[in-house]
Amino acid sequence: MEKKTKKISSKLLTFIIPVVVLTVLALVVIAATLTKKRMTEMAKETIESSISNQADNIEAWLSENLEYFSTVKHTMEAQNPSQDEIVPFLDSFYGFNSNSPNGFYLGTSDGQLYKATQSEKAETSVTDSTWFKQGISRITMAYGTAYTNSHGQTVISATGILNDGTDNIKVLGADVTLDKISIIVNSGVKMKGASSFLVDTNDYKILAHRDVSLIGTKLSTSSGDALMKGAAEAVMAGDLGSREIDGNMVAFASVSGTDWVLVSYIPESIVLKSVEQMGILLFVVGAVAIALITVLILLVVRRVIAPLTHITNNISAMSEGDFTIEVDSSGNDEIGIMGAKVSDFVASMRKMLASISDESEKLKEESDNSDRVSKTMFEASQSQADAMKQLNSTVDELAVAVNDIAQNASILAGVVSDTRENSDKAHDSMKETVGISQKGRSDMESLSAAMGHISTANEKLVESINKVGSASEEITKIVGMIGNISEETNLLSLNASIEAARAGEAGRGFAIVATQIAKLAQTSAESASSIEHLIEEIRALIGDAVREADESAESIRENSELIDVAVKTFDQIYDNIQETNSRIEAMITDIEKVEDVSTNVAAISEEQAASADEILATSQNMVEMANNITKSSQDVADNSHELAETSQTLTSYVQKFKI
Amino acid sequence: MIKNTNIKRFLISFLTCIAILASLTGCAGGAGSSGSSAGAGVKIFYTTPVLDDFKELLMNAIVDSGKKAGASVTVGEPCASVDDQVAQIRSAASSGYDIIICNPIDSETVLQMEVAAGDLSVIFTNAQPEEDKLEADKYMYVGSNENDAATFQAEYVWNKLGKPSKMNAVILSGQPGHPAAVARTKGVKDYFKSKNVDVTYVFNDSAYWDTDKAYDAFKVFLKTGQSYDAVICNNDSMAIGVVKAMKDLGIDTSKIPVVGVDATDGGCDSIREGGMQFTVYQSAVGQGKAAIDLSIALVKKGSSAGVEGVTEDSLYVWVPYVPVDKSNVNSFK
Repeated sequence: MEKKTKKISSKLLTFIIPVVVLTVLALVVIAATLTKKRMTEMAKETIESSISNQADNIEAWLSENLEYFSTVKHTMEAQNPSQDEIVPFLDSFYGFNSNSPNGFYLGTSDGQLYKATQSEKAETSVTDSTWFKQGISRITMAYGTAYTNSHGQTVISATGILNDGTDNIKVLGADVTLDKISIIVNSGVKMKGASSFLVDTNDYKILAHRDVSLIGTKLSTSSGDALMKGAAEAVMAGDLGSREIDGNMVAFASVSGTDWVLVSYIPESIVLKSVEQMGILLFVVGAVAIALITVLILLVVRRVIAPLTHITNNISAMSEGDFTIEVDSSGNDEIGIMGAKVSDFVASMRKMLASISDESEKLKEESDNSDRVSKTMFEASQSQADAMKQLNSTVDELAVAVNDIAQNASILAGVVSDTRENSDKAHDSMKETVGISQKGRSDMESLSAAMGHISTANEKLVESINKVGSASEEITKIVGMIGNISEETNLLSLNASIEAARAGEAGRGFAIVATQIAKLAQTSAESASSIEHLIEEIRALIGDAVREADESAESIRENSELIDVAVKTFDQIYDNIQETNSRIEAMITDIEKVEDVSTNVAAISEEQAASADEILATSQNMVEMANNITKSSQDVADNSHELAETSQTLTSYVQKFKI
Repeated sequence: MIKNTNIKRFLISFLTCIAILASLTGCAGGAGSSGSSAGAGVKIFYTTPVLDDFKELLMNAIVDSGKKAGASVTVGEPCASVDDQVAQIRSAASSGYDIIICNPIDSETVLQMEVAAGDLSVIFTNAQPEEDKLEADKYMYVGSNENDAATFQAEYVWNKLGKPSKMNAVILSGQPGHPAAVARTKGVKDYFKSKNVDVTYVFNDSAYWDTDKAYDAFKVFLKTGQSYDAVICNNDSMAIGVVKAMKDLGIDTSKIPVVGVDATDGGCDSIREGGMQFTVYQSAVGQGKAAIDLSIALVKKGSSAGVEGVTEDSLYVWVPYVPVDKSNVNSFK
């Protein structure tokens, strides 16, 4: 029991402590980073503001002095002292400006040097001196570059040409020592830990530096000191933005009115020192916080978990089947409620177990029953499945048969359709035949009529021939008469010739005529005889013609009779064809009816086939279902068997509990 | 009936004429307005110190460019003192102007001008304020980069002298502390440094932009007897003074280059006459146009992006200088 309690609290601690530690660490790191960034920025701002302030101070100091020097120069130009008055004039301004302890001095192009009486200024060669050379490059007084004077001091001279209108060039000057400027530079640093130095960009000489030995030396990019080297690079490139050089934060500022650049730097370690301290402090606070939180968590967890022990004991008893326990349900937190609920649970469990015991007994009996019932059911369902299978095969056959019918009906419909087409064709042919036979009959009739005409014509011909016969007989009679006439004429002529001969000469003419007439009568007799002869021939020919015409008439009659028979036959044929035609039409009507019926039959039998297929599918489903039922009833049987066993087991388990 | 159709015909042709006229005038109106619509509705106030040649050119350029762009430009009475200018800006700020263009009397006092302008943007011109007094797309400077002018001068001199490695030079600067004077002098020195030329500035003093002062100073310098190869002046006026002094003493100005800045009429005349050799033209027209373009961009878009010559930091709009010597001096009046 004790072990379990410890486990929960240590579990909680293993989860919570790392989270707390990580959170605190993250906070510390973020705070430290932000602080570092902000402090670096602040340091940069401070050094920039410091250096700008310093540059302003230097500028102010320089211009203050320069103004004083310029004023003196103007005064001198205005007074324009004679050669003898120069020294007293310079004396009068000696000692007024502590920044320029040697006071004013005047150099001329012919090598003269004038200075205040007390001044220590000395120059071996005025015109070769740096200050003189610088001085002749301007009229307005201005600072030149640094140089070492005859006393070994590094100084800067403010010089300018004294514009007195003469052709003799005079340069007025006043020196400022770099020591003075160094003091200004070094004491002007406003930031703790920061240093400054001043560089003249004309010759890169260092004018002021904390390290006195560097004053007057040149700032060089080949310097061994990384800081000086970096500063030199920046100044020479004219890039005066703040930057980091060799672990220093460096700022630059040009001093207006001069070509000087002030460089200020502060080691970053100084800037970040406070950041480090802050970081350490943050870590310490973090560590303390972690320790405190751990202790607090331990205490709280212990206190909260204590009542759980009792409940755990009770639950352990319960797990062993002991429900005779009493649970402590004091306390008003979740654990108190848990105790109360466990107590309720034990009470209800007791009740429940008792009823379960009863119920399980009943259940056992019922499950035995259901086991039996399910077995019966299984058998029933099996026989049902068999029946179903048989039904299925029958339906299958039925479907096949119906399908056959459908196919046959379709074929029949096709055949009928073909037949109808054929009979339609026959009908058409028949119609044609009717037409043709009609025409044949009418032709026959016209032929018969023509035959009639021919017979009539023949008769007329016979009649005409007969008339010719009678005419030729008349001609024969006429010719006989002519013969007689010619004989009498001949006799007359003979008489005439005898008479003429009697008459002698007088009758000679007449004798010739009578001779001529005798000749004519002779010729007429001859002609009449030939005509008679010809007529005899004609009469013979006419007899032949009449005979032949009669023969013709006879054959025509026979033909007419035959034609009449043919006409009658044609009529019969026509009638027959007409009848045949009407019968074919009737047949077509019947075939159409048959087609309709067979089409219907085909459609119906196809529907039947489809229905049979559906019935088949349904009966197959039924077979499956019956199978399923069989399987299910098998399962039910198994389950009810198991249930019977389970309820027995349950009863045995429930009996184990102590109530 | 006949009369009626005549009236109809007349009416139809009359109306057609009116329609054609209307469409023609309509087109003309459209074309006219499209050229001057960029700055429509922008109200600009310009404040200037008492005018000199260049300031007057600049003022006129700003007014003309404003007119061309369709913006309304009001020019305040030229101010004699910083107090006047501040008062003028304060009153302009409360009079419904969109932006102020300021030619400051003293570039040291621009912070006061910015405060006086309230929420309005201020474009400075002519006298360049220090960079930390400017703000991107709010307080900007339109001008010509003084350093460029100095570079042109030094480049001309060095080339003219045959690119020597050692030379003596005279520099005459403008008023001490004046940003242009400081920048131009520094620019010349930086150029020679960058070319590794060892230059001795045998005379280097201020002549306060003034011809007479330059004349006097140069005469004093000549008394020192030092040799010199070139005279570089911060402006044309001083260069003219130097040329005058040289002529008085019979010194050949063709041998020794005297150079200035600004391409003033006097400077150009001097170049034509063979006095000065070189100057640099600061385009008042270009600066005026740039100031107006920038004003319109800031008022309409709130950004100087796309304005010609604007720097990456959006603090300056640079109008390029043009070098002027004898070859092209006639194109600068």
